[in-house]
Amino acid sequence: MPRQNGPTLRERRVHPPWGLWWIQGRRLVRIEVRRNLFSWKAGWIYVLAFTPTLILAIHAGMDARSARDIEGDTEVLARIVQLFYLRLAIFFGCLGIFSRLIRGEMIERSLHFFLLSPVRREVLLLAKFVAGSISALLLFESAIVADFALLYLPFGGMAWTYILNGPGLGQLAAYLGVAALACLGYGSVFLLLSMIFRNPTPAAMVFLLWETINPVLPSLLQKLSIASYLRHLMPVAIAPEGFFALLTVETEPTAAWTATLGLLLLILAVLVYACFRMRTLEIRYTTE
Amino acid sequence: MPVYRHIYRPYSGRLTPAWSRSLVLTRYGLAEAWSSKITIALFTLCFLPVIVSLFGIYLVNNPLARVLLGAQRPQVFTIDAEFFLHDLQAQSWLALALASWVAPRLITFDLADNALPILLSHPISRFTYLLGKFLALFASLSVVTWIPCLLLFAYQGYSSPGAWASAHLGIAGGLFLGAVLWITLLSLLGLALSSWVKLRVVATGVIFAAVFVPAGVGAVVSAVLRTRWGFLLNVPVMMTLLWQRLLDAPGISGADLPTGAILLTLLLVCCVCLGVLNARIRAREVVHG
Repeated sequence: MPRQNGPTLRERRVHPPWGLWWIQGRRLVRIEVRRNLFSWKAGWIYVLAFTPTLILAIHAGMDARSARDIEGDTEVLARIVQLFYLRLAIFFGCLGIFSRLIRGEMIERSLHFFLLSPVRREVLLLAKFVAGSISALLLFESAIVADFALLYLPFGGMAWTYILNGPGLGQLAAYLGVAALACLGYGSVFLLLSMIFRNPTPAAMVFLLWETINPVLPSLLQKLSIASYLRHLMPVAIAPEGFFALLTVETEPTAAWTATLGLLLLILAVLVYACFRMRTLEIRYTTE
Repeated sequence: MPVYRHIYRPYSGRLTPAWSRSLVLTRYGLAEAWSSKITIALFTLCFLPVIVSLFGIYLVNNPLARVLLGAQRPQVFTIDAEFFLHDLQAQSWLALALASWVAPRLITFDLADNALPILLSHPISRFTYLLGKFLALFASLSVVTWIPCLLLFAYQGYSSPGAWASAHLGIAGGLFLGAVLWITLLSLLGLALSSWVKLRVVATGVIFAAVFVPAGVGAVVSAVLRTRWGFLLNVPVMMTLLWQRLLDAPGISGADLPTGAILLTLLLVCCVCLGVLNARIRAREVVHG
């Protein structure tokens, strides 16, 4: 019997075919990004991401500069990023994007095509996660940059001084970093939830509740939330308002690198568990 | 039956009256909605604030209980319009969770499985179909909103020493009207969005997003354009203001909007929902090639 030319199973284990996985992953990412960003079904994410941009564009067009000041608008931008993007837009956007990657394929009855192809399931899962992350990052980061530009540029020379010689550029970088971590964090959680539950939305709503009430929880429980890490990274702090302000538990400030590392470790742990579940994933289209 | 065999005779038995045909759909809708364990769990969860409020009313009206708990002051807290406002708010937001779970179960299966043409081939109109589904959702939400709120009111009236209920009938009216307005809006919104997206998994999230994302957009409008009219996109704020005025409770929301503008916005939302339902609930089958 002639010997096969391909590597044996043992050789594959000793020397994993990274090159092959890279090519497979890249192609999967390309397919998913195209589906996430360039299909008519993706229109709602654009609306979600760019609605504040539209409002700011209207505001910039109205030339209401006389009634504005840079400090006031800096707080407005902080509120937009913290209260709109992080709590609503990125949360629901990532819920839509990342739940669709696995659960959406099951509903459309097309996941088995991927599972039957000679691609490792971990490669498939990670490629889908990367594709979802690229889509979310492209949309929300560009929206934040556009918001930043529309808010400050009407101030003219004063804005350039604030951005280049003041804290403006650092704040923009911090907002982009926070948004990126939020996309990755929420994305990994929703990808996992969509693999565990047939309908991940109730679990996501419980998660939203957990994220919302997180500031009033004891400091140890606050560490089990994405919002708590992101709060420490915000360049402009927003004081809690209303009833929650009375119950908020102030934790000691965490260094930026600690918060980033903590969140990245959380994402890594979630992804490792998702890969583990992906190995044993079974599809029963009749129950979907 | 072959067409050449002329033995066909129309049904000659008793027909369900036209006015009650929607109730058949309501019955089946309720059976479908309540067949899920999550519905039962959500329903149970909806009664937790009621139990807490019930205990609060008992505590306020029972001197012995107050003494046992070591309360020094004669009143731990008062049962007034503000107490019932908080109760209505808690029940109403829990009703949103219940609606986002139940509404998609009522309508998405019919649409996703192309069952609507078969259903509408029966002697029911599109309006009857929608009315049946609406009643199923409205009834489910009523059980967790105005019914427990009015029961709490009745219990307070029963256990208070004076003629409390007759002096505070306005609160009962406000509770009923506020809850009915809210669950009507929720029912229409839930059915419209479920028929729009057709997938149950997506519809549950979209109903939540439809309430909270415009609220965020409204906050952005208010902050950027320095106007109070942005709150007209904020359903939680609008409803809180409306309930507050219906119950004549002291202000707990910082926003201020005219009642007419709030009602007009709610009416507009309901009209849009009806428009969506009119467009989506049609006896047609979509075949993807």
